[in-house]
Amino acid sequence: MLSRFPVVGGVAIVALALSGRRLWQLGQLVTSGAPAPGRKGRWGARLTREVREVVGQQRLLRWRLPGLAHAFTFWGFLLLGLTVIEACGDLFSASFALPWIGHAAIVGFLEDLFACAVLVSLVVFAAIRLRQNPRVLERRSRFFGSHNGVAWLVLGMIAAVIVTLLLYRAAQTNTGHFPYGWWAFASHGLGRALAGLGAGTNRTLETVFVDLNLIVIFAFLVLVVYSKHLHIFFAPINIAFARTPRALGALDKTPVMDLEELTEESRFGAGRIEDLTWKQRLDLLACTECGRCQSQCPAWATEKPLSPKLLVMALRDELLASTRPAGDHAGGSEGRALVGAVVEAAAVWSCTTCGACVEQCPVDIEHVDAIVDLRRHEVLMASRFPPEAGTMLRSLENRGDPWGMGSQHRLDWTSGLGFEVPVVEGRIPDEVEYLLWVGCAGAFDDRARATTQSLARLLHLAGVSFAVLGPRESCTGDPARRLGNEFLFQEQAKANIAVLKEVGVRKLVTSCPHCANTIGAEYPELGLEVEVLHHSELLAQLLATGRLDAGRLPASVTYHDPCYLGRHRRVFDAPRSVIDGVEGVELVEMERRREQSFCCGAGGARMWLEESSGTRINRARADEALGTGAAVVATACPYCAVMLDDAVRERGRSEEVEVLDLARLLERSGASGRGVGAG
Amino acid sequence: MQIAVCVKQIPDPGDPPRFDAQTYRLDRSGAIILDDSDAYSVEMALRLAEVAGGEVTAVSVAPDGELSGLRTALAMGVQRAVLVSDPALAGLDALGTAKVLAAVARRVGAELVLAATESTDGYTGTVPVQLAELLAWPALSFARHVELEDGLLRVQRQTEAGYDELRCPPPAVVTVTAGVVEVRYPTMKGILSARSKPVDQLSLADLDLEAAEVGVLGAGQEVVGIEDAPVRAAGTMVTDDGTGHVAVLEALRSWKVI
Repeated sequence: MLSRFPVVGGVAIVALALSGRRLWQLGQLVTSGAPAPGRKGRWGARLTREVREVVGQQRLLRWRLPGLAHAFTFWGFLLLGLTVIEACGDLFSASFALPWIGHAAIVGFLEDLFACAVLVSLVVFAAIRLRQNPRVLERRSRFFGSHNGVAWLVLGMIAAVIVTLLLYRAAQTNTGHFPYGWWAFASHGLGRALAGLGAGTNRTLETVFVDLNLIVIFAFLVLVVYSKHLHIFFAPINIAFARTPRALGALDKTPVMDLEELTEESRFGAGRIEDLTWKQRLDLLACTECGRCQSQCPAWATEKPLSPKLLVMALRDELLASTRPAGDHAGGSEGRALVGAVVEAAAVWSCTTCGACVEQCPVDIEHVDAIVDLRRHEVLMASRFPPEAGTMLRSLENRGDPWGMGSQHRLDWTSGLGFEVPVVEGRIPDEVEYLLWVGCAGAFDDRARATTQSLARLLHLAGVSFAVLGPRESCTGDPARRLGNEFLFQEQAKANIAVLKEVGVRKLVTSCPHCANTIGAEYPELGLEVEVLHHSELLAQLLATGRLDAGRLPASVTYHDPCYLGRHRRVFDAPRSVIDGVEGVELVEMERRREQSFCCGAGGARMWLEESSGTRINRARADEALGTGAAVVATACPYCAVMLDDAVRERGRSEEVEVLDLARLLERSGASGRGVGAG
Repeated sequence: MQIAVCVKQIPDPGDPPRFDAQTYRLDRSGAIILDDSDAYSVEMALRLAEVAGGEVTAVSVAPDGELSGLRTALAMGVQRAVLVSDPALAGLDALGTAKVLAAVARRVGAELVLAATESTDGYTGTVPVQLAELLAWPALSFARHVELEDGLLRVQRQTEAGYDELRCPPPAVVTVTAGVVEVRYPTMKGILSARSKPVDQLSLADLDLEAAEVGVLGAGQEVVGIEDAPVRAAGTMVTDDGTGHVAVLEALRSWKVI
């Protein structure tokens, strides 16, 4: 017995020293990152989030079975901390019990309950891993590319912790050292099976398994800090510093792009690992390679080289390989180029910024912001991007819209409406309630133009007074920003903000979710606060208040949630209430909808890039829509409408299936209004 | 190798052009941009200089100290710019422009001048060859590829059938066909450094040119009127009810195609 303490104690000291050193190094690696503005403050909200997402396991539980298995393992991990104290106590005194609660039946019961729950969870995890075997499913497995050997080792280690725990507890029931009564059902149950071995053997078993339990736990600690299982330390910290309420909508950082404040040495975006902020570094360490992001990614699903998980893993490997702190480029040794050497350029340009990964990530990793940061470096520092984007950028720069149509055509859609659309000259008159922000697609793209016309007629019917900016409207800058050209975005934004302030904008309505997101969520950072409504929200209001009455349209309709309306702006119900408001419509939902909607493929400036690798995202989504058997695929975004319409045509189904913006759907139902324009 | 690249700063060609009612001169009051056709010769010049060494100077003639298009060229990477701006140059014609550009080419010591085949607003397509004549240099037009090898210019000259290969010792004037190279997009460093790169703003006097030689006084041609192009009439629509081919045949006969 005398040799017990030095062995276990020795293991403990070595494990604590190793893992302590590792954690200290990792902490240094995080804190030496570039500044991450806006991560402090709002502590109340952060605490609530911590409770909800860490203690409550909210995000994990969105996937029922793996969520429950994880939740029980996590809660078990917390509760079984008590047993570690008990085991340590056993080293000193065989009859050790926790102070105050050490003999409480409830404690014994819960310890046993969670020990069993963890074992069951491990079986579930193993089953999930077998069913999702990446060797069989390859890219279709969410574990493809993860460190799967380590994952199995972790499961084995957890199992070893629980098994040794239950065995020493069972032996304790026979040696009289067990502090709990029959409520500790598993220990006593197992103890009865061991009772026949005799008192001496049980004493040996107790000693051996207490020691083994502690040795396994300390070894596991070392494994944790040297593997992806690091998330047990870094995920809670990462969640505490996450963007509130979520890393969607506006992009995280709006760097200063004012030429007067910049020098030729100014750096933009993330070009090397040194450029990552401390929060982006935390993101990397928090990743546990679960692959939920990968399973939702439209680029990955269509055989493109981007997986949000693999991108995070590649950046993490680079981070762990770097030991130099940020800003310390002494001696001219610079880190590797993140795009090209660490992450494939094609992966970075495959992202549609749809946010499905961010929505799904249980540890709040901000993939979209990171990808845009990589793009910013490529565009602003290196001028490296898909060449076809150059045409779009130049059009935007010179003509004010990505198509290069020019401002003189911004009012073309108004001809043939049958009523005048007021164009704002000076300030918006008091009697005009809404500024209708038409958007470039709404003004120039034929299909989107039909939506703009429908919307204008509906507003006119409802007696909603609105005006447009006409030639003074210009692209919000969204495609430039998502492509990484923050400079051009801010030039566009500043010009638009000046015009919007000059006309005294109060309420703005737009049929483009991208415009709504940029003006509503990103312009505030640059000095404009304005109430922004998407047309689905306004139409829903008009229907609810009776200013507009929907007509009848007997058809089955499925609704595609545009990423920038749904995930990014959290508008899920308004479009559905517009569609539901039409008599005769049967709404058939797709499997992937609302928060889990699947991108059309056009976001993140992908509208203007070639989609040359893999299969086409819009076809994948159109196939899902066609699969519902609906006669109408309704959506609420000009890009989605174009992408889905193209795909339905390519599938040869345009004869019987129509892609319609919900404004057109509503108008086609024979909507009537109570407004001045009625009759 | 000193390379000069001629660039024109023009009103956005996408906007309908406006002309002065009396003089028929182009109204340049809106946004002015680097003529897109020139972006290709700038790119070509930069690539040549990167390989063969040397400096690229962007040269432009424009009223009122206009620099916005030159800034784009500077942001792309040309080392310096020369702008000739002089009230006496109002009403300048193609030959006058060529005279001014020739004076600048001599002044900056250019051994090679690149230009677009034609501008997007004027479309005369005559300035570069006039410039070559004035400099007494050979003109190599419609280049789709230009390289310098052992001090010898090698140019692939676009033709309808393919391309000719030309070789010529500099100095020379080369015109670059639009669309033949991928034009670089300026980096932020480029945009920021463009502000501090040297820009020579010259008047006619600086170039020892007389107003009588160039500008409206020296112009050999004069715009005497501008008319809108006739609006294209709507075509005839025939709905095919099974006899569509008859209508097609009739149409083809009436145009004497068959």
